[in-house]
Amino acid sequence: MIRGMRSLAAIAAITLSAAGTAGAAEATISKDLTATLALLGVPCDQVVSSQRLGDNDYLATCKDKNSYRIYVNPKGRVVAEKR
Amino acid sequence: MKGIVLAGLRTTVLLALLTAAGCACSERVAQAEPTGAGSPKDKPAAATTPGSAPPATPSAAESPPPAEAPAETRKPRATAEPSPKKDTRTAALEKPAAEPLDLAALEKRLRETEAIGTLTKLTLKNQVDDLLGRIEAHHDGTDKASLTELRQPFDLLIIKVLSLLQDRDAALAGAIATSREAMWGVLSDPAKFRSYLNQNRG
Repeated sequence: MIRGMRSLAAIAAITLSAAGTAGAAEATISKDLTATLALLGVPCDQVVSSQRLGDNDYLATCKDKNSYRIYVNPKGRVVAEKR
Repeated sequence: MKGIVLAGLRTTVLLALLTAAGCACSERVAQAEPTGAGSPKDKPAAATTPGSAPPATPSAAESPPPAEAPAETRKPRATAEPSPKKDTRTAALEKPAAEPLDLAALEKRLRETEAIGTLTKLTLKNQVDDLLGRIEAHHDGTDKASLTELRQPFDLLIIKVLSLLQDRDAALAGAIATSREAMWGVLSDPAKFRSYLNQNRG
């Protein structure tokens, strides 16, 4: 019984830890996307969610619910396209 | 029975601690993000390019930067000398001119800093390259924009970089702010600018 509880605790700990790491990574990406949009002059108070579409290619959703695809074009320029 | 209760308590305490730790992490990230909008570690690209590390004009907006070189400024105060304030200010004003401009080092630090995200660094690099292109055109005579007009985008770029760095890499922000005029000195002088470009392209 005790072993079972310990195992559950361990699983819970690992799950929580992984969730925390993923959350931090997501926050870092959102921050990067928010800064990128600001530098590009796109009105976006804050990126609230993002989806990775590929290398340096993201779909970001702003607080105002507008979405932008942010990617590096073949010329090496970072571009934000409204979706 | 007692054993089971104790084990249950331990589990609860463990979960509570882990949850608290996770929340603390999230809070740190959240706090860092606001600044992040301007954030940015990876200006390396920007630093790499002449424009990124550009030296802005010493306007009122720039006066804050000197404060960014706190390390140096604080040291004098720590000595508790007679008139520390005057000495500190004087030192802060004189140092920029005295310190040699190491664009390569600044560029490397910008590339390696974690204060700026990858996409942000790339965006800054694009903008730095654009500015360098304009300055090159100016020196070639193909762009009629005056140096005074080119100084404005240079200053804006510096401000962007500083805003991205100031909260997460204050040391680098201070170094860039201190090198601002020296960078502009390189950009605005045709001979120095070409030499810089040749070094980077070569």
